[in-house]
Amino acid sequence: MGGVAEDEGGTEGDVVGELGVEESKRVGLFSMMKGEMVNKGFKGRLGVFAFAAVQPMNRTNWPVPANRPRRGLCTKREWRVKQVTKSNFSQTLESLKPQISQSDFVAVSLQKTGSFSAPWHRVLPFDTPQTAYSKARFAADKFQVFQFAVCPFSVRASKVVAHPYNFHLFPRDELKIGMPSYSFSCQTSYLASMAREGFDFNVCIYDGISYLSRAQESVANGRIGNPVPSNNVKTLSSTPSVADTVFIERIKSRVKHWKSACRDSSTRTDEALVKSLRKLILGSEEYRSRPCINLDVCSEHQVQLVVEVLGEFFDDLVPLLIPAKGGGTQAVRVILTSSEEDKDLLKRELQDLEEEQNKRVCGFREVIDLISASQKPVVSHNSLNDFAFIHSKFLSPLPLYMDEFMCSLRMVFPHVLDVNHLMKEIGPLKKVTNLSAAASCLKRRWFFVPIDMEIPHQASNEDKIHGHNVLRISHLLANLCSILKITPEMIQSDGGHLASALEGYANIFHPHSTNTEDPIDGDIKVWTDDTRKVSSEDLVFIWGFRGRMSAGGLKRLLQGSHSVFSEEFDVRMVDGSCAIVVFWQSGLSQAFLEAISSNGISGLLREMVSEGLRAAGYETYKKACRLGFWEADLADSLDKTLAEPDHNSEADTETKPTGPSQINWSRDSIINLDEL
Amino acid sequence: MKQWPLLRSLSESLTRTLAPHSLYTLRFLSSATASPTFALKNVTKSNFESSLADLRRHVRDADFVAIDLEMTGVTSAPWRESFEFDRFDVQYLKVKDSAEKFAVVQFGVCPFRWDSSRHCFVAHPHNFYVFPRQELPVDGPSYEFLCQTTSIDFLAKYQFDFNACIYEGVSYLSREQENEMLRCLNSECDDEMSRLWRNMKEVRDMPLVSVADVLFSERMKNRFNEWRKELLQDRKGGSQFLETSNDMKQQFQTIFFKMRPALLLNGFTAHQLRLIQLVIKKHFKDLVYIRSSGDGSYSELIVYIDSDNDKNLFMKEVKDGLRREAEMKIKTAVGFRHVIDLLSSEQKLIVGHNCLLDIAHIYNKFFGSLPLTAEDFVSSIHKYFPYMIDTKILLNTNNVLKHLMKNGSTSLSKAFASLCPQIASSSKNSGLAFQPCVEVEVQVDDMRSSNWNSGAKHEAGYDAFMTGCVFAQACSNLGIDFKKHSSSANLAHNEKLQKHVNHLYFSWVNGDIIDLSTGNRIVATTVHYNLKRRYPKILFSNIVIVWGFPSQLSSKKIRECISKVFGPISVTTIYHLDETAVFVQFSKPELVADFLVLKETLETIQDPISVLHPLSELLEGGNTCAASYETYKEICSSPISKVMFADQAKAVGIKWKTKLVESKEKVKTQEDESFSKENGAADAASDSADKSKTRKIEDVIDNLSDDRISSSEIIDSLYAAQTKLSKHIRTTNL
Repeated sequence: MGGVAEDEGGTEGDVVGELGVEESKRVGLFSMMKGEMVNKGFKGRLGVFAFAAVQPMNRTNWPVPANRPRRGLCTKREWRVKQVTKSNFSQTLESLKPQISQSDFVAVSLQKTGSFSAPWHRVLPFDTPQTAYSKARFAADKFQVFQFAVCPFSVRASKVVAHPYNFHLFPRDELKIGMPSYSFSCQTSYLASMAREGFDFNVCIYDGISYLSRAQESVANGRIGNPVPSNNVKTLSSTPSVADTVFIERIKSRVKHWKSACRDSSTRTDEALVKSLRKLILGSEEYRSRPCINLDVCSEHQVQLVVEVLGEFFDDLVPLLIPAKGGGTQAVRVILTSSEEDKDLLKRELQDLEEEQNKRVCGFREVIDLISASQKPVVSHNSLNDFAFIHSKFLSPLPLYMDEFMCSLRMVFPHVLDVNHLMKEIGPLKKVTNLSAAASCLKRRWFFVPIDMEIPHQASNEDKIHGHNVLRISHLLANLCSILKITPEMIQSDGGHLASALEGYANIFHPHSTNTEDPIDGDIKVWTDDTRKVSSEDLVFIWGFRGRMSAGGLKRLLQGSHSVFSEEFDVRMVDGSCAIVVFWQSGLSQAFLEAISSNGISGLLREMVSEGLRAAGYETYKKACRLGFWEADLADSLDKTLAEPDHNSEADTETKPTGPSQINWSRDSIINLDEL
Repeated sequence: MKQWPLLRSLSESLTRTLAPHSLYTLRFLSSATASPTFALKNVTKSNFESSLADLRRHVRDADFVAIDLEMTGVTSAPWRESFEFDRFDVQYLKVKDSAEKFAVVQFGVCPFRWDSSRHCFVAHPHNFYVFPRQELPVDGPSYEFLCQTTSIDFLAKYQFDFNACIYEGVSYLSREQENEMLRCLNSECDDEMSRLWRNMKEVRDMPLVSVADVLFSERMKNRFNEWRKELLQDRKGGSQFLETSNDMKQQFQTIFFKMRPALLLNGFTAHQLRLIQLVIKKHFKDLVYIRSSGDGSYSELIVYIDSDNDKNLFMKEVKDGLRREAEMKIKTAVGFRHVIDLLSSEQKLIVGHNCLLDIAHIYNKFFGSLPLTAEDFVSSIHKYFPYMIDTKILLNTNNVLKHLMKNGSTSLSKAFASLCPQIASSSKNSGLAFQPCVEVEVQVDDMRSSNWNSGAKHEAGYDAFMTGCVFAQACSNLGIDFKKHSSSANLAHNEKLQKHVNHLYFSWVNGDIIDLSTGNRIVATTVHYNLKRRYPKILFSNIVIVWGFPSQLSSKKIRECISKVFGPISVTTIYHLDETAVFVQFSKPELVADFLVLKETLETIQDPISVLHPLSELLEGGNTCAASYETYKEICSSPISKVMFADQAKAVGIKWKTKLVESKEKVKTQEDESFSKENGAADAASDSADKSKTRKIEDVIDNLSDDRISSSEIIDSLYAAQTKLSKHIRTTNL
């Protein structure tokens, strides 16, 4: 199916049913909390907003999406999210800076162009952290972020003070260097659901902010070939060799010669021809209306020599390094200044130029850098997916393994709080996985705490219905804090450190995890009611059965096929092509796998195998995720994985032997994968 | 009024000189001068049905239909761009990859009809917004497409309306998808029916555990009994009214379903419905419990049936009803494909401009998965569209037209400006007297104009219009007299066009042309590419592809490395696919095998000789891989697309570093054997192989004497510049 809205139909309906239209202003928040996952926004039940005509570029007169009448509840003036595009980006950055540094938390929420290409690509209850990460990694590489909502907020008594912004992003190749992204995938159902919310694709594509990741920026600097000030050149430690001395002398005399020529020519009035001849011979050029000369260098060592010589013997020269195409330095550009003041002026000019250049190059990433530099706890919902995207788009390509990802991310964002995870810490919210359900659940329960929302600033007519999820996240966190008895004073405790009460909940990235002390690959809880732990060793994937099968039908078939099935076992469909079998008695899975691959099979099982039934253990599934065999059907991926020769030398060092992982298997309608 | 001609000529001269980005402002200028400014026909979901009806009429009457497509991208990776080094089969793989990955967002269709009374063509430019929305729920992979960032940016530059496309675009199903849907539908219907039957025959016996269940069942049984009794009495002529209490009415409503009396069940829980099913099954032979769908919701019914015969009949009726409904839904979902079916069934002459990729998209989106080989593709396309003409080929291969174009660029907008200046500048008085101008009237709905030009470049509908105009003018220049033509089929059979009909550029870069009707490849007799001539002939058997080498190695360096080993004239060309991979064309095919063997040898033995070996510079880093051209084809055929070729090779699953050429390899081992025999060293085979390899190295080192810098290096760098240039040209052609 892949539909977004359809998937969530069930839970949504419930929530909406409970919410009255005439709820008070405060509770109005909850009625807005529609829509499932953070990144999907909500489904258009907000108030009727006055929308500015934002589409001067519309060629045809299509109805501007936002103008469509919406079933609205009420106009929420205090719920404005500032929409940011290229045109107001730098101005927004200025206001965002102090707001981040003064807030307790920063909530983030991403709207992507897709998340999974096939049913089994989404994170499933039986996924280990590593396989879940592999899936998130695959999606983050493939899809694109169109909206990035950021909301610095503080919790004060029973009030949340929030500054929400919604940034529109588009990976435009601003510098014509094939970055940030050559191409990206779109899932039509995602675009369609964004369209239902009234998202303006023209604004996003025409006017979205571009960006470069940190890794891309360093590559880009080399490719653009802009001169870099020589501030970072290290001074030489060793004494110069003979060759060095010769080189130094040559440079010195050349610069001296050029300098005197410049000074001379400035006093004399030459004919044009003579001037250009002189230019040709001396290799003299102009840089920012000052004379300059390019000195070719062959190595970084020579760069050091040149910079040192210039600093030592000439006061009025400013060196600039010209990067070579493949990295390194190609030449040193020496600029002649007329006086000390002129030199300072030039240096300031260069600095401004560099900053401007940086802004142009890193674009939206500056916001990420701001959040990172503030070291504030970052709050999100469904953090694994969002942070996989953040890492991949704004930091560097995602590493292959989860723990490397965690390490790398922790360097940038030391505290990541997942409201989804926090909710699971609180009994009645254990089963709740979406924001709207959580809100209504909180409201119904005895521990509901009234919390007001205050959004102090924002221009009036720029608000749209997008990016409200950050507000929901902020509000939910405030609620959860009060439930967990974390007071605002504790939150504000001290800059760099997270309140100890929250510390335990930070940096949990597994979507189905509840145990905070979980090491990677440890216990995984599915839904918390009535779950039984099962080792990944007791899981077997089977595929290749005929046609469309229901889990029940398959179970009945298997029951009579082999003696291992006389004990208790369960069958669930993973997707149309593949099912997972849980053996509740350990060791039977191995027996089954052996039986199915031995020559001695007989009876019904033999018949099924001859019809194409295949089976593999959990390791094969892990390997398929690791090798990135993301076929549309899990069956195809597993087949491909089995066909892959065992690379003992390579693979075994790569796979960190972790031993069997524990998976909590709940008995009730559990992973109702058929409905996913 | 006096300033108009001035403005017009200004805009005309601007059109020719200005860069494309300034055209937007210019559009206002030119539209200000043109008198009637109505937009072309934009078609979206809301007006699709009515537009399709009109279009059917226009296409039926048309002499030819011009088409053009706008896509979300062209190449999924830089190395998938079209190169001079693409063999015919590789060219097809690249086109196939592009058509499979990207989406069509706009489809221009412009039927042209010769109006013999007015001596002009009448054009009906249509601009369809298309979006691959998933209208029907199906299991399996989600609908997904790729966007090339630069292409999206390009569309944005030409004011493409993404909202119109995503919100209002017409969706479609290919023939293959439709068949698959119908197949699914059949099995689903069968499933549904068997489920129904099963329900009737063997509702899982539920032990009635709770007292409530027992009581409820008993009550239901009585109710149904009463109802049935009343019915029967009614039938037997009794005119007794069905007396029911109020709450009864709410829960049970007597209706007629498929001409049979039925009870509509309202407000029961799933559990209660299960109990009801049980009751029906246990106690009533002539009642059927059924779940019927209608208006998107389900309703539970109890239907009275006369006999077993009637039961079968009834079930069939229900089944047919279900199927009809689903079929209707599928038919609606076919959407935009109706336009393609129309073009195909009318067998009109289809005109496109450099349209191979367009055709591949049409095939992939509206017929089915693209065939694996170019041959199959060509033959099946010809079946669907028997007459096709490409204006780019026409302009490049016909001497008359080439002369007219003054051998200039044959990009669509250039061709339009130089062949149809009177339309391009929307002026009636063409200054070029030597060229008889074909007049084109444009009709959109009720509006008609003889000097219409209010389209926007790179809008599919307008591009189709331009293509049609260029074709009409070209025909006229070839001496085809439309006045003498009465019926439309004649145009495709006109002997003046025979040399060009059904010829498509398979690769514009190479000038490879394919004849769709015969499947033959035609080598362009006239080389249109001035630069192309400088390339030495490309021999695919002489080519090695090398990737994963140190990134700072330039083509010059690589040539140097290899020439030091195999001699100064051993390397014909070095061609960079991207910064991680190069093609090396050797002067002799044997050198391919020699190179691969040597490379493998150097990598397996680590001694001073191999470290000092001139080739080691190329192998530095230990990630350098090499293989023959076949491997390149294999990698191209993979559905994966990594940006860098070296990453792609890894992702495709290539784990070896060198793939030796097999046939040559056999020869080699034989040689090795004879060699070892001569030496009387009949040790282990591996040992002998090693020895033979060291011998090879010694030979090779002897060859090192000549390491002059050849003039070909300079040519290399020229090629590099030229490729850049041609790439640039290609993108502007799009």
